[in-house]
Amino acid sequence: MWILALSFGAYLFALWKRPLLYVGLVLQVVYIFSRGAELGRLPLVGPHDTLIFLAASMAAFAAAFAYALKDRSRFLNSVAVIAALFTAFAMTTPQQNSPLPPVLKTIWFECHVVLAFMSYALFGIAAVFGGVYLKDRQTSFEGLGYRAVLIGYCLFTLSMIFGGIWAYLAWGTYWIWTPKELWTSILFAYYSFYLHARLRQWWIGRPMAVLGIAGFAITMFTYLGVSLLMKSSHSF
Amino acid sequence: MYLLKNLLNIFFSLRTTLWLLGFSLVMLFAGAFIMPAHDEFQALHSSPLFEWIQNQPLKVTWWLWGLIGILSVLTVNTLLCSIESIINKRKVTQWLLLISPQIIHVGFLFILLAHLLSGLGSSQVMAAAGEGSEVKLSGGDTVLRVGDINMKYDSYGYLTDWDVSVEYLSDGNVLHRDIIRPNQPSTRMGFNINVRDLRPYPVEAVLLQINREPGALWALIGGILFTLGIVTLILLKIRMEK
Repeated sequence: MWILALSFGAYLFALWKRPLLYVGLVLQVVYIFSRGAELGRLPLVGPHDTLIFLAASMAAFAAAFAYALKDRSRFLNSVAVIAALFTAFAMTTPQQNSPLPPVLKTIWFECHVVLAFMSYALFGIAAVFGGVYLKDRQTSFEGLGYRAVLIGYCLFTLSMIFGGIWAYLAWGTYWIWTPKELWTSILFAYYSFYLHARLRQWWIGRPMAVLGIAGFAITMFTYLGVSLLMKSSHSF
Repeated sequence: MYLLKNLLNIFFSLRTTLWLLGFSLVMLFAGAFIMPAHDEFQALHSSPLFEWIQNQPLKVTWWLWGLIGILSVLTVNTLLCSIESIINKRKVTQWLLLISPQIIHVGFLFILLAHLLSGLGSSQVMAAAGEGSEVKLSGGDTVLRVGDINMKYDSYGYLTDWDVSVEYLSDGNVLHRDIIRPNQPSTRMGFNINVRDLRPYPVEAVLLQINREPGALWALIGGILFTLGIVTLILLKIRMEK
């Protein structure tokens, strides 16, 4: 747990010393690998592990996107704050250390979960770009937000396909009518709307930035809200 | 003629796509709040969607009817926009860039087709069975007999693995033998037979889940096409920027 506390501190102090964002990321990667080695499985079950993975993914994608920016301080600061918040939340939730049920021991589940959280992280990056665009009005921010959504949408689609294959093998159907699946459809339809809207000139700029921010709110509800508040196959 | 032209223009429009996606979002949002609040949805898997929906009160299904209607119009809109795009841009040199969004659209339409087929013909039956029990499969005289049920536990008492042997019988003759394992269902005669739950005592027993999912293959084809299209599109965009 002390590694997590250090990574939380690193993300917070990255507001003053930016390289600490990368220190926070490295610490979380070490934590994820050590959890995996300890449990003998992918540590991506329950809110604790998934929040850490989401925070680390956001920091990693932010590092990659930052290369394309001249003025990256506001963007990286925003990501650092979000990563710190996720880490703090993860530290308040219990670890799930029990072995996986046999039905979860499959590559389809692992691909499904990893890709889902990577796509959530990219939707988060798009929201941050939307936020900094609304503040600074630099067109490059809006364009990068669109790219983040496009790649995130691709990973999200793959995640749904892997999830469908896994559900078919595990439960005989590729689609189950539960709130999680319905919210996943909402997310898919929402980002389909986002990508199509950007083909029209009117939407480029402020509307896309707002759509990117709202999209991440839906993403977070699909991830945490539905899993914590509603009964479904994905409940925590 | 003027009316027909206007109607076609609406169907060919990207603006229509956005409205339809917006309306489908409204329906899905409504469903996301209606579904958890009504017990009627618990029985949704036991019969095909289109059969189930006709026997339910409109106050809980109106959003599904709305969604079906919107997706039907969106199907026409997707087809027409794709055809128009190919015709208008057929002379461009970057034909992969032209075709990849259309592959995504075809993938989407296959996924809709999968849901349509499943909505018309899917079924799900649960059956509790012990070793030696027989379960009749619907639509024929074939019987499924459950053989050995094996469960493995670790030192803490967690179930780590299991397998269940089954036999398909007709008139007492064994047609086929199979073993069901986690994520390895027994698939035969259009059925997908899984073990939903296991009970170690007082006697070893399983809860069998017998599914028929006619849209599964189409959903897989659609998913692969969708992925191929979007990955190609992203790679081309990256290459163009370089």
